[in-house]
Amino acid sequence: MNIGIIGAGQAACTLIAELVRGQFAGKILVFNGESHRPYQRPPLSKTWLHNPTDTESIRLLPEPIETHASIEWIHDKVVSIEPDQGVITTNNARRTVDHIVLATGTRAKTLAIDGLPADQVHVIRTLSDAIHLHEALDAAHNIVIIGAGFLAFELASSLDHPERTIRVLAKGVRALPQISVKAADRLLEETPASIRVGVTIERYDQDSASLITNHGPVPADLVIVAIGARPNTELASACGLGTSEGIPTDALMQTTHPRVSAIGEVSLHTQPHLNKVMRIESISEANDSASTLAKRLLGAPEPFKATPWFWSDQGQLKLQIAGLAARNDDETCLINTQTERVVIRHNSDHVTAIEAVNAAKEFMAARRLFEQGPISRQALLQAGSVFSLLQSSRS
Amino acid sequence: MPQLTCIDPNEQAIEVAFEPGETILQATYRAGVDGILAECGGGCSCATCHVMLTSDWDGTLDAASPQEADMLSFAVDPTPQSRLACQVQLNEQHDGLTLTVAKRQY
Repeated sequence: MNIGIIGAGQAACTLIAELVRGQFAGKILVFNGESHRPYQRPPLSKTWLHNPTDTESIRLLPEPIETHASIEWIHDKVVSIEPDQGVITTNNARRTVDHIVLATGTRAKTLAIDGLPADQVHVIRTLSDAIHLHEALDAAHNIVIIGAGFLAFELASSLDHPERTIRVLAKGVRALPQISVKAADRLLEETPASIRVGVTIERYDQDSASLITNHGPVPADLVIVAIGARPNTELASACGLGTSEGIPTDALMQTTHPRVSAIGEVSLHTQPHLNKVMRIESISEANDSASTLAKRLLGAPEPFKATPWFWSDQGQLKLQIAGLAARNDDETCLINTQTERVVIRHNSDHVTAIEAVNAAKEFMAARRLFEQGPISRQALLQAGSVFSLLQSSRS
Repeated sequence: MPQLTCIDPNEQAIEVAFEPGETILQATYRAGVDGILAECGGGCSCATCHVMLTSDWDGTLDAASPQEADMLSFAVDPTPQSRLACQVQLNEQHDGLTLTVAKRQY
């Protein structure tokens, strides 16, 4: 069986590595829409941004796998797929495979700002974006980051420099709305950025080099838009397999067409942890969905059952999250010391996520506990720490 | 180039060349040593790059940070010689030394 994988990000590469290690018998065609060899995305907004010529440290596939004889790397852009025939058409050729894997990922949402030339607006999603941003930094003294999620504050930490002022402008009522107020407060204690919330951007004024907002002018010689991403579903939508929301799959990552699977950030499937159909943007989703598909293609299918997890580095602080909370879930602080902070997110007694700042042991214990089954908030509070509850569950 | 010897989970010895300054993870990952997953790509967030160093490494490295030690306590069967490959930076002193990749990463 020959397969064609469209995309070469985290999910695609995990699938490739597992197929090669599992001695997959067919040929693997990989359609990498980028000119770079596969690379890791998370470092792009973190410390790696200090030295973006170092593409070796962020490579995603080990040499023996990247150069394995079963893999053919194709850099042409895929323009369409025909699921019934297994045809993948690029701007250059038509290729036929037995199975098509859509690992097309997401792209950064952009923002058109009246008066601001497109070349002064940056996003950070790809290696090319990061290199482009790095090149523009020398001349930048007033950096404005639009958006107030993890990416915005990772960038703020990475771009911190005595000659730069960094301002984060958020549309919503608070920064880091994905996490609890208590975890966000701790993470933001050390951010070099000044934060303004409730901001609406009206236009850019070239003469004063400022963004004109409902809170007045904000000096900006470089603007980074970090307002999230949207799934690349065009190929799937064109043949009725997806919508702008994502590409629906079952628990084995198969789309509604038997010859097409979807993995990673584009796949829309039931998350067992929440018992809810949703798309998740995270490394864990990329890896776990790819592993699920690899097992199926290697002839030993096992349904997706992972609990999502996330991490973000903000300067010296490390946030790690096990599970996934809805924005309006409640929060209860479990541990609050000089160094550590651990917050329980919950829906009455049912724990949906555990947010750990500089508390790696609590985070790992939470991942293990979620693997065992649902967690009760009351039980956590009685135990005093996630680690204690894990230990008592094992004794 | 200096080299390490890595014993992979199949007990095969693999010679891995490294550049001083890179981490064990970077060197072993490039070489395709089996058994090191590094799900988080070297962020000290997943404990799936667990390796065990021989006593020859003693005195050549700083102790694990509290963060790394915490992550290691969740690795499968950690020993006093356990480290996370993503957190150990290599230098010339490490030329010729041996490490063992954990049999299981989770």
